[in-house]
Amino acid sequence: MNAELKLFALGTAGVTLVLAALLVTVYGAETGRVLQALAARTPLLLSGSPDFSRFEGGFAANIVISIWAMMIAAVAGTALGIGMISQSLLVRAPSVLLMNVLRNSPWLVVLYAMLYLLPFEIEAFGTIFSFSPVIKAIIGLALPVTANIAEVFRGGVEAVPTGQWESARSLGYRRLQILRRVVVPQAIQFMTPNLMTTYAMLFIGTSLVVVTGANDILSVARTVIASDGAHYATAIYLYVLFLFFLFCFPIAILTRWLEQRVRVRQ
Amino acid sequence: MTLDFSWLFDPLYQTWLLRGVGTTILLSLLGMVLMFVIGIAGAALLHLKVRFLQSPVTIFVELFRNTPPLVQLFFLYFMLSEIGLTLTDPVTGGRIPLFTGFTCVVLSLGLYNGAIAVEIIRSGLLAVPAQTVEGARSLGYSRLQTFRHVELPIGLRMSIPPMTSNIVSLIKTSSQAVLVAVADIMYGATQIMLETFRNLEVMLLIWIIYLVIASIAVLVVRRIAAAFRIPGYGS
Repeated sequence: MNAELKLFALGTAGVTLVLAALLVTVYGAETGRVLQALAARTPLLLSGSPDFSRFEGGFAANIVISIWAMMIAAVAGTALGIGMISQSLLVRAPSVLLMNVLRNSPWLVVLYAMLYLLPFEIEAFGTIFSFSPVIKAIIGLALPVTANIAEVFRGGVEAVPTGQWESARSLGYRRLQILRRVVVPQAIQFMTPNLMTTYAMLFIGTSLVVVTGANDILSVARTVIASDGAHYATAIYLYVLFLFFLFCFPIAILTRWLEQRVRVRQ
Repeated sequence: MTLDFSWLFDPLYQTWLLRGVGTTILLSLLGMVLMFVIGIAGAALLHLKVRFLQSPVTIFVELFRNTPPLVQLFFLYFMLSEIGLTLTDPVTGGRIPLFTGFTCVVLSLGLYNGAIAVEIIRSGLLAVPAQTVEGARSLGYSRLQTFRHVELPIGLRMSIPPMTSNIVSLIKTSSQAVLVAVADIMYGATQIMLETFRNLEVMLLIWIIYLVIASIAVLVVRRIAAAFRIPGYGS
């Protein structure tokens, strides 16, 4: 953990200094006033409400969207991953094709496509489900991430020695039982660091939901710039950069530490 | 729901799309050049343990890897216009901004994917067998010569698989150019959508075009990798 802690200290301090230096370079003597303006807008950027009374917009919305998208993608990605290691070519080939298509699609295009593909609302089982921009954003982000998780799942399962499969089979387990009770519990340690990297990538991707009209941090930032003046744009984007960094950097450090631990244990 | 692709036969829309594809490819190629320059330079500085430069490179990598490329793009776009760097056009004598949207997109692509490339190339360099490096050293190569003639050529080949996905990621990320009004393929698409209201069909076509571009890029990288293969190193 020591090397990672050192890197964490260096990265956090270094990036804070670099961003502060940029702010001072751009604004010069005005920096104090700009910082005051940023402080006044902080609740709005973080929670979407002017006084932290509700947490349904801004950075909080990015976090909520990323968690929902990750949960959906985890379920769908596991299913797709099981399909990709299926013994039947009829299941395996379409699964691999779907994975490759989803993995090579630009997230922005998928988000736009979901915006137009998903209906405004659908009626099923007597109730009306409406697709708000947030739900469309969640589905649009979950699709490409599904492919990444399927790939992580396949890689993790393949990292488990084949002897495990053979001995479980000789004990009379069926394929899905072997996966659930023998292979996946052992593979989870190989998957965890990669899943965390995928989540960090997804969180970085939530910046794109600004195009769907969800009330995320970039939409709030744009509103603030429109009301306070384009003069503040640089400062506000610097601030948004800093927020994303503060969220993603600890995840990256933790991932590195876990990877190191898995490697040592082998 | 029926899909109507008749707008695709309009020559004007075809021109917009083709021009957009050209811009997207140009953006991606320039971004890739910058990505490789940053990636190789950064990895070299870290690998050769250059004093006083290691920490700045690490900070650079962590800053650009852990923040969204879209926010980096907006930041560059607004900061550079705030500073207000301009050039004098030699033909008309007018002032033109030094950093257009196009330049900002190339910069942000190069910076974000370049930061990832630093890490990729560095692990490629670490994967070079120690015996090979020791062999070069015992033949009298200096530290720098070993790096230039032995470690870098082998390390770059070792980093081809993760670099391929980084290149695909760069091509995918280039679709953000539309958000600073660069006339790439997404821009052409939004123009067509505004005129025809065939939003879904246009987006599906764009989706396929991006898949084709990414697949071609993967094939090209594979051909290059096969052509430069050193028997015994990497697959």
